[in-house]
Amino acid sequence: MRELTRRDVLKLGGGAAAAAGLGVPAVLRAQAKEVPMLGLWSFTGAFSDVGPVLDRGMKLALDERGMKIQGKTIKYITRDDETKAGSATRRAEEAVDADGVKYIVGPWSSGVALAVSEVAKRKKVFHYFSGGTEDISGARCHRYSFQWAASPYTAAKTVVDTFMQANPKAKRWHLLVADYAFGWSVEKYVKEVGKTHGIEFVGADRHPLGEREFSNYVTKAAGNKPDVVVMINFGLDAVTGAREIFNFGLTPKIPLIMTWSSGVEELVQLAPEIRENIWVGSNFYYTADTPVAREFVKSYQAKFGGPPGYAPAAAYGMTRMLLHAMDKAKSTEVPDVIRACEGLEVDDLVGRMRVDPKTHQTLRPYFFMRCKKKEAMKHPMDFADIIATGSTPLPAEYAACKDIGAL
Amino acid sequence: MKPWVAILAAVVLLPVFVRHAIATEIWIFAIFGLGLNLLMGYTGLLSFGQATFFGSAAYVAGYLLKYYGINLFLALGIGVVVGAASAALVGYLCVQRSGLYFIMLTFALNQMFFFTAYQWTTVTGGEDGMPGIPRPSVLGLDIHGPLAYYATVAALFLLSLWVMQRIVESPLGKILKAIRENELRAEALGFDVPRMKLVAFVVGGAFSGLAGVLYAMLFGIVPLEAIGFVFSGNVVFATLIGGSGSLYGPVIGSFVFIWLSESVSAMWARWPLLLGVAFVIVVLFFRGGVVEAWARFWTWRAARRAPDRVRIDAPR
Amino acid sequence: MKISLLVSQVLNGLATGMLYALMGIGLSIITGVLNIPNFAHGALFALGAYSLYTVIQLVGNFWLALVLAPVGVGLLGVLIEYGGIRPLYKAGHDYQLLLTFGLSLIVTEGIIIIWSPVGMSQLPPPLLRGGVDLGITFYPKYRLFVMVAAGLLVLGAWLFLEKTRYGAIMRAGIEDKEMVSLLGIDIHRLFTAAFALGCAMAGIAGALTAPIRGLNPWMGVDMLGIAFVVVALAGLGNLLGSIAAGLLVGVAQSLVALFWPEASVAVIFAVMAAILLVRPQGLFGIR
Repeated sequence: MRELTRRDVLKLGGGAAAAAGLGVPAVLRAQAKEVPMLGLWSFTGAFSDVGPVLDRGMKLALDERGMKIQGKTIKYITRDDETKAGSATRRAEEAVDADGVKYIVGPWSSGVALAVSEVAKRKKVFHYFSGGTEDISGARCHRYSFQWAASPYTAAKTVVDTFMQANPKAKRWHLLVADYAFGWSVEKYVKEVGKTHGIEFVGADRHPLGEREFSNYVTKAAGNKPDVVVMINFGLDAVTGAREIFNFGLTPKIPLIMTWSSGVEELVQLAPEIRENIWVGSNFYYTADTPVAREFVKSYQAKFGGPPGYAPAAAYGMTRMLLHAMDKAKSTEVPDVIRACEGLEVDDLVGRMRVDPKTHQTLRPYFFMRCKKKEAMKHPMDFADIIATGSTPLPAEYAACKDIGAL
Repeated sequence: MKPWVAILAAVVLLPVFVRHAIATEIWIFAIFGLGLNLLMGYTGLLSFGQATFFGSAAYVAGYLLKYYGINLFLALGIGVVVGAASAALVGYLCVQRSGLYFIMLTFALNQMFFFTAYQWTTVTGGEDGMPGIPRPSVLGLDIHGPLAYYATVAALFLLSLWVMQRIVESPLGKILKAIRENELRAEALGFDVPRMKLVAFVVGGAFSGLAGVLYAMLFGIVPLEAIGFVFSGNVVFATLIGGSGSLYGPVIGSFVFIWLSESVSAMWARWPLLLGVAFVIVVLFFRGGVVEAWARFWTWRAARRAPDRVRIDAPR
Repeated sequence: MKISLLVSQVLNGLATGMLYALMGIGLSIITGVLNIPNFAHGALFALGAYSLYTVIQLVGNFWLALVLAPVGVGLLGVLIEYGGIRPLYKAGHDYQLLLTFGLSLIVTEGIIIIWSPVGMSQLPPPLLRGGVDLGITFYPKYRLFVMVAAGLLVLGAWLFLEKTRYGAIMRAGIEDKEMVSLLGIDIHRLFTAAFALGCAMAGIAGALTAPIRGLNPWMGVDMLGIAFVVVALAGLGNLLGSIAAGLLVGVAQSLVALFWPEASVAVIFAVMAAILLVRPQGLFGIR
């Protein structure tokens, strides 16, 4: 083989310089006039269906302010986390290093969020997340991450209390839980609250995230002869699970509770017959009766055709809280915004919302719905009615966040 | 001498042109490739499950780093040992078979380790991987800064390259090459072929393990993909594209592969499509890898310039 | 242990086992006749499922889709064999592996581009919706159908290979390619046919699976590993063995899921490793 000549080396060098597009560290262009924000959403992978709608929600909230805050332009970028912790970590770091991002909203998956939270802590950037793992505001809490979704305790309490009020005799419960961060958290509190009602948990199975083969779990559930089947899972898992539970004849004879659902996004994938006798708990439902929610649903519906589910609402809600914090801080510097966000109290998307400064958990209502029979539906998207909301916060003795640390 | 000059130059100049994290990743992947190439290029064994050793080392060392705060040297040592041990286990099951069966077995065993990591969520974190992996200081020096870590990894790469060079030029290396050329003859000559193959496995596994630990500390996370078959496939491709016939093939391949995948993946989420197309094109048209393509290109140019003075010394 | 639960699990295992057997036979034919590692087998499974979905969207007929999907995948197999594999007959396993691996990436990403990365659902045809009371247990009609349909296909494959002239040629091709070509048979056509047949079997397995598991672009990834396990357990080239191995793996997985659901997939590979330690030629292999 020919040896490298001087010309070759020069050519290679030129090529390498061209490859500088790989991200020569961004020279602080962020500082002066821009506030770069990252929407870390899933466009591929298990949660790829929500990426686009999350993007919509965040954009709506930013557009309301004309893409400006505190006199500066907001630069909104999105990155695909592929619903994978490894990819999310790299994209987030890349965004911080190469694009100067200071504010991260997302991701959607609670497991991936824990990895992103580590990045936020390491890189000292602001991070807002909505999801079911209590660790973000619990065991893994730190000054840089905030949790928008209701605490799994709040969710469990709302769901269990309301359901038992309506069905006092349904004491045999079978649980089908996603083997995932949010699954474990919600399951723990459903059992805790269930104990206070004298509920007997005749069975509890965990299925891997992204499971498609529910037959085994359903036959096991049926074998336990429960009064209620309770699913703690999400998205396509919940849809597939609900469908199999119907196929095997459990619903509508016995009720199915979807404890931590995204509401519209899941219900729209189920045929009306399958939805009969399904009870749904969610962080947001589009018939929520607050001024902000009504406006949001109106704009969303006008722009995109259908009502928003939990996902876009969460993206919208988190971005609004972030902007409120910047308003309160009168600054876009991360430490100022963090301090402003701690203790922030507003009447926003789901009602009265307050950020607990000790844990960074947002204290807010959780919704519980009952699905309608086909005949009772007034229009094709009229899946359910909100029958209750609950905002009981996590009792102090359960709080795993002992010291949220310093900036 | 010349290749070493080029490599040293690359090590020094790379962080100037490329983001430090990516530059570090290139050298880590090169170490990984060196391990694979001992099996593939030198012994003629296509191991399609190298991620088993890479990932296992990453998880074990990562776990100890995270929960027991072990120091850097211990972590690296454990990575090497775990890589070698898992390779011994897999190698033992696989060296009895050859050809297609061998490839399938390495793949299936890789899947076994993958699903174990996937479903053992309490230890490995399952699909979310193992985040929060610290980067302990080396000899009192803090290597948290991207450039400092780059320097550490680059130094370890150079060391690995030197060690691998010693190995392939040693009697062991020659025996492995003999096995690749003609296994029956090697056996007839009295070499314990299965045992030699196992040794190649273990050494290759050790290198993969080292790469795995360094990877865990790079992003502070051990993602599930690190033990998956896509990772195994990537290192095979990178080594082939660099040219499996030489010691430096994996190094070149790592450059090309990481550079391509990093720059394209930021632009288009569907970049694995291009990767797949690249695989197909390379195997159909550029089988010798970059080394052969480079040589063929110069032959073509020379032929164009002086058509009546045909080159007699064929490339390669 | 409730008897009804056990029966349901065994039925589940037989249904998935039949699908595993289909995948195993298809892969066995390809590896046996062509002697190449087909890492695209899982992606072709997924493509079969998506083809079924699209045909139903276009034409509304499940049964027609069930026929067209594997035919489509089989035709793609012909193209792949002709364009990609034929040039690489002599190239060695490294390159064949990379080719099929690259193809699997292309097919999977292609599915994402054409159909979107979002998982989709496919309902069974109206005839097969709901369940049937079997006395001991209540069981979905569609799964019973899959058991029967896959079983018939497996039987058909076996009959083709054992009882027809073309099948005999294929089996001979697995045994001794040179002899077959010396006997005057066009070895290239044999290879193309074998590959296409293997692909079509992966395609129909995917199509049958769609109403059970839904569709997502990576649905073939797990199937690839399991197909390899089935082939390894059966012994390379042992087609009949693939059937038994497939059923075994399916039922074993279902039963393990009863006691240790988290380990149900890893256990399959561990069992394979254990069996191969004791019997390197696989459960039924002779070589």
